[in-house]
Amino acid sequence: MNINKSNPLLLHPLNKWMKKKKWSWFPHQIETFQHVRSGSDVVVFAPTGAGKTLTGFINPIDDLIKLKKFKGLHTIYISPLKSLANDIVRNLEKPIKELNLNISFQVRTGDTTPYKKQRQKQKPPNILITTPESLALLNSYENAKEFFQNLKYIIIDEIHTFLDNKRADLLSLNIERLQTFSPNLQRIGLSATLKNQQDAKKWLCRKKSKIVSYENSVLPKIKILESKERIPWSGHMATYAIKEIYKEILKSKLTIIFVNTRAQAEYMFKNLWLINNKKLKIAVHHGSLEQNLRLKVEKNLSSGLVDCVVATSSLELGLDYGDVEKIIQVGAPKGINRLLQRVGRSNHNLATPSKAILIPTNRFEFIESQAAIEEINKGNLDKIELKEGSLDVVAQHIFATACSSNFNINELYKEIKNAYPYHNLLKKDFIQLVELIQDGGYVLKNYDQFKRIQQERNNKNIYRLVNKRETRKYRMNVGTIIENPMLKIKLGTKTLGNIEENFIQNLSQGDSFIFAGQVLEFQSMKNNLVQVKKSKSQISKIPSYSGGRMPLSTNLAKSVRKLISSKHNWKKYPNQIREWLYRQESFSLLPKKDEFLIEQFPRKKNYYSVIYTFAGWHSNQTLGFLLLRGMKELNYKPLGFVANDYAIVLWSLNEAKEINKLLNIKLINNHLDNYLEETSIVKRLFRDNAIISCLIERRLPGMIKTGKQVLFSSDLIYTVLKKNEPDHILLKSSYDDAKKNMIDYDRLCKILMIDNNKIILKKLKTISPLAVPIILEINRENLSKKDTDEYILEDLEKEILEEANVKSIN
Amino acid sequence: MSSQLIKFANEDFFAYPSKILFWKRLNTIIVADLHLGKSVSFARHKQFLPPYDTKETLNRLFDCINEFKPTKLIIVGDLIHDLLSIKSLEKKDHLDFIEYAKKIDFIWIKGNHDSQIEISGLQKVLDYTIDEIIFNHIPINTSKYQICGHFHPKVKITHRGKSIYKSTFVHNNKIFILPSFGVLTGGLNIDQDPIKDLLGKKINIFPVGKDKVYKL
Repeated sequence: MNINKSNPLLLHPLNKWMKKKKWSWFPHQIETFQHVRSGSDVVVFAPTGAGKTLTGFINPIDDLIKLKKFKGLHTIYISPLKSLANDIVRNLEKPIKELNLNISFQVRTGDTTPYKKQRQKQKPPNILITTPESLALLNSYENAKEFFQNLKYIIIDEIHTFLDNKRADLLSLNIERLQTFSPNLQRIGLSATLKNQQDAKKWLCRKKSKIVSYENSVLPKIKILESKERIPWSGHMATYAIKEIYKEILKSKLTIIFVNTRAQAEYMFKNLWLINNKKLKIAVHHGSLEQNLRLKVEKNLSSGLVDCVVATSSLELGLDYGDVEKIIQVGAPKGINRLLQRVGRSNHNLATPSKAILIPTNRFEFIESQAAIEEINKGNLDKIELKEGSLDVVAQHIFATACSSNFNINELYKEIKNAYPYHNLLKKDFIQLVELIQDGGYVLKNYDQFKRIQQERNNKNIYRLVNKRETRKYRMNVGTIIENPMLKIKLGTKTLGNIEENFIQNLSQGDSFIFAGQVLEFQSMKNNLVQVKKSKSQISKIPSYSGGRMPLSTNLAKSVRKLISSKHNWKKYPNQIREWLYRQESFSLLPKKDEFLIEQFPRKKNYYSVIYTFAGWHSNQTLGFLLLRGMKELNYKPLGFVANDYAIVLWSLNEAKEINKLLNIKLINNHLDNYLEETSIVKRLFRDNAIISCLIERRLPGMIKTGKQVLFSSDLIYTVLKKNEPDHILLKSSYDDAKKNMIDYDRLCKILMIDNNKIILKKLKTISPLAVPIILEINRENLSKKDTDEYILEDLEKEILEEANVKSIN
Repeated sequence: MSSQLIKFANEDFFAYPSKILFWKRLNTIIVADLHLGKSVSFARHKQFLPPYDTKETLNRLFDCINEFKPTKLIIVGDLIHDLLSIKSLEKKDHLDFIEYAKKIDFIWIKGNHDSQIEISGLQKVLDYTIDEIIFNHIPINTSKYQICGHFHPKVKITHRGKSIYKSTFVHNNKIFILPSFGVLTGGLNIDQDPIKDLLGKKINIFPVGKDKVYKL
């Protein structure tokens, strides 16, 4: 790259090091440097391999050298992952040590020892690399103001992961806190390429905000596996392609296989081992594995000691694993950005393309994979939707603020409103959140004598913590990530990782399951430890991990519809896919991209309606339920439904002749509240809200509450609260969360606002080719959506009665 | 509300989903572990549970009394959660309670939570015996039949790959344990010690559902 003489970075302290390495500055690094130097907050968009990390540190290092022997904290670097934070330290270490610069830097995460943490508080480094949770903790300390008062820069790495979740809310509140402590603070955001760059800017920047964008002109080479086998109609395990996947691993030096769920990871890993006749070194990596096991895999990956790693999103972010030659994505990409992020894990050289192979696990996924490739080639990315911040996070932040010092309620409100997710926060809601922290915020009755924070006598606007001991409780509860109740797995004395309590509860002694790539036999559970031994059994269950089911992105869905509707694309497809589509076309029809197809046919005494929405799993799930209700009212006698990313199938005793008339926004008004109640979605979210807002504790000092206990009490609290104080702020907060996350409310509304002329109701004699995949899913889904608890009891009792040959018991 | 017949100590008892046990022959209601004022006790430790549990628990009890019009009410311990809780009882709740208690033969058996607590106008006893049955909070070593509380038994039910927990009535040939009646009370698994140890293997389990008591 030809950098002209006026490049200001040629005078930068790191320039010598760059020269020695024979590297030159990127244009976006120069641009960022100049903007930041002139006082702007900046978001930088650049692909992996374009020196993103260094870009963030250019101004801080320049400034620190100019200031000479600056004492105290100068720059904070926020990383989304602990492991990434350690990686950053290693990268920063190289130039600073080699040039012998007088700059101190340290990492601080949940893994940092208390001794080190204490030392950092007394003698802070110039640069602190940390996570949002650790930053929140730092802000809750009594001397937070002095600690941060000279802070000049905050760098947010991988900012695209921080835009639409509660963790982002927490971080945004803490950035505003820092800005109050140090009004001159400047913000630098580093992001992967994004469609809506303006939104990222809005989220982060305040002062003379600027966007710097660097786009890679070399597109990745992504193709779909050309399988000789039959791609199944439905399913998610890619069993058909195992041998071909193995061949692909053999072809490359180092491969990462990405899958979508932990269960898939264990399954894929096990099946590759079964055919591993070339004795390849294959490893598995996912979030439930013990940290040491994960670190070992990561280390082997970066030093090239393995041939292949099967991984979930746990390996998706940041870390630079040099020699990865190929990425294999098993299962639907679900989103364009997500696929691009994964593909970017291979080959960090900007000049040559990354290589990836997609393995669709069923036919719809084939189309989805194809769509994703085309969108990537067109440079069309997914939008990340900014959303209103969650209220429970504000409550936690109020508590943290009180732990740090007395606060003025008006000033704090103003500060919080500066955080983008909360720019619409109502004062009324804020006051209720303060009261929630104070004593639970109950209107009809209160705990006057037990307050956690209270107003000053002479100034009602000032609140202070009643008892310093409370800070300890805050610190035990900090953060917004609530995991499902997990138990530690022990093989002998060695900890293998964590497994969901629900999974273990369904096992009996002697049952075997796969974890960390080994077949294990369940022995016992004591004191929250699951004791296992190695097993030779061939039959094993695979741990299921709930949650994490990502819906198909709006953009990708659009592209899938386009591919299905435009026939000239089909010739590129393998025979079996093309046949499938042609048959569908002659048997029924393929909807145009703005059309909405409903197929109806009789099957086994019931009537089936399949609605192709392409709206993603969350909204389809909700829509299915709402339609079930609507059908009941029209006396169609509906029996059940199943939804996936692409479609919903409902079946009923009577023919749902005019089901198209139900697709109308009225459906939401009439039945949504009911849905939230009956499926206990709000109840589950209430538990998270109660923990995040510090109403109930996830852990008490000195004792560990098991997940079940927490769930138990929060369920009861929910029921009692809803009955007595339906307007309580935490119930509102839980409802808001449900609308935002669980039901994809906006997408649902969009479907229901469809023009009725665009709905095509196709009556068929029997099931259509397009409907086969979703019909096959019916058997796999669980029971009714009614009160499952009661159902289980009824069912069990019935079985026992039948066994005993008794008709009824009074 | 439908009831579940439970035969114990050669007598017919009826368990109800409201977690009461009705002894029809003597027109007597038995309940356990109301833990009145539990939320207040938690609030002292800055865990602010909704402060409506006492009123709700009491109202449920009053409803039962109104419905069954029993001649006798036996509370097998832990009526009150702790000393602080009793102070927190609202005057009206307190008076209502005394009023109800005076109308019937009210037997308050001492529990581990309320052993130090006095309520004026109410008698508290260590245990209570009718014929062959002793009513206790915690079972003692005896050859007689016992009906108790204390353990808040719940049962884990695994069926078709799903597990749920339910409050439950449970007994063996000598000891009968009631589920807890209070609205904010947790539970103890019956297949774990100390319940397992106490009752042994031969037990009858009656999980409490929404509208009926089941029999497993």
